[in-house]
Amino acid sequence: MSLFSRKVEQVPCTVEVSHRFEALHAHVRFNDGSVVHPGDEVLVQGPPVLAAWGEVISEDRTATITRATALERLWTRLTGDFEFMELCEFSFSEEMSV
Amino acid sequence: MNMHATTHEELAAEIGEQFDTDAMAQESTLLNPRFYTTDFDELDRIDVTPVRAEWDKLIGQMKSDPNKGHFKKNEDWDTVDWDNMDPKLKREFIDFLVSSCTAEFSGCVLYKEMKRRGNNPDICELFNYMARDEARHAGFINDALREAGVAVNLGFLTKAKKYTYFRPKFIYYATYLSEKIGYARYITIYRHLEQHPEKRFHPIFKWFKEWCNDEFSHGEAFALLMRTDPKLTESFVNKLWIRFFLTAVFSTMYVRDHARPAFHEALGVDIDWYDQEVFRKTGEIAKQVFPMELDIDHPRWMPNLKRMERAFRKMEAAEKQGGIGGKLAKLGAMSSAALAFAAIYTIPVKKSTPPASVRLEPAY
Repeated sequence: MSLFSRKVEQVPCTVEVSHRFEALHAHVRFNDGSVVHPGDEVLVQGPPVLAAWGEVISEDRTATITRATALERLWTRLTGDFEFMELCEFSFSEEMSV
Repeated sequence: MNMHATTHEELAAEIGEQFDTDAMAQESTLLNPRFYTTDFDELDRIDVTPVRAEWDKLIGQMKSDPNKGHFKKNEDWDTVDWDNMDPKLKREFIDFLVSSCTAEFSGCVLYKEMKRRGNNPDICELFNYMARDEARHAGFINDALREAGVAVNLGFLTKAKKYTYFRPKFIYYATYLSEKIGYARYITIYRHLEQHPEKRFHPIFKWFKEWCNDEFSHGEAFALLMRTDPKLTESFVNKLWIRFFLTAVFSTMYVRDHARPAFHEALGVDIDWYDQEVFRKTGEIAKQVFPMELDIDHPRWMPNLKRMERAFRKMEAAEKQGGIGGKLAKLGAMSSAALAFAAIYTIPVKKSTPPASVRLEPAY
């Protein structure tokens, strides 16, 4: 991990999207066991994975992980907590009028 | 968990026609969850031994999956007259469905990640069941959205996602409160509609009871997790954090509920009454693990909530106004919101001692 420059990794991944009544979910799993750390950015390559209604799609793709620099990682660890309201759920969006 | 649903305009520009796989869909909304990491080693170090008996019981209950058959549409799901719904109510109700769906969805993403990254079998099992429940709820709400002609787009996976970071304790406090407040919100509406069935403008409210029981047991799991380490709720600094979380969550809920007047009017719910009721229930429940309760009957409580709500309205107006005048007005509104928050935060709390046994059952 470098202090200033970002490292970019190409990683094989499996994308699973379920668009069913029983379950609506979407997950990315890195097949080589890569893990993401605070401040890293992940981009799944290719066109959007679009599951039609009732469908579960599981696809092998490539993900680009842009590693955060040491400074960014530190910064994200120090400041991430301030965004804690993201974790809370209020039934409505934050827009004051819809 | 709160997430930002992208506005419909942004979406239309972004995905255009390519997603619409459902002929009924008149609009689509992109789920845009946030992605988090946490200290997974710390999660692995959790030892549930001190609460083992209660833990096993709760996990056993989750494993038996009592609500498995509940989230199905049956004859109770009556037809909704979307076309004749008051447009303002429809907008607010769809905002409710989309926000709830994205919240469940992002809970699912977070829990699944915790399950996948963890090596502690107790923790992995718990997060696995919770991810299952959240995906199920999300699917159920999504179906209601489809009926309303709103298609949910999961195309976010192929967009760049930045991972932010929360310490585990922040996840415990925030998700514990979210789950318990969710329970209190749903059960209060459910009980209200039992008394006033004519106000039930959509069948989804009939499912609120079992739904909120899931929320309740997720909250129980976080309560047990917090009990494994007494420092989390007993140290001086952590008590200040808990107080801060309670204040922030309650006041945000107050502001957001008041921004949805048509929704509450249609249900026949007075928002001030409803919010106080939800705060009361949540506060009472949270005493199972937090050593305090906010004094929501204190003379400074309600006036400052109202002040904060006015400040948020002014902020919105100032943003629309734009220019230097708008910026100044926004700054003024922000400081007035901050003062209101401080006035609430400094209300002396009602101290309490959590009971020896942490577990609760849904009682409202």
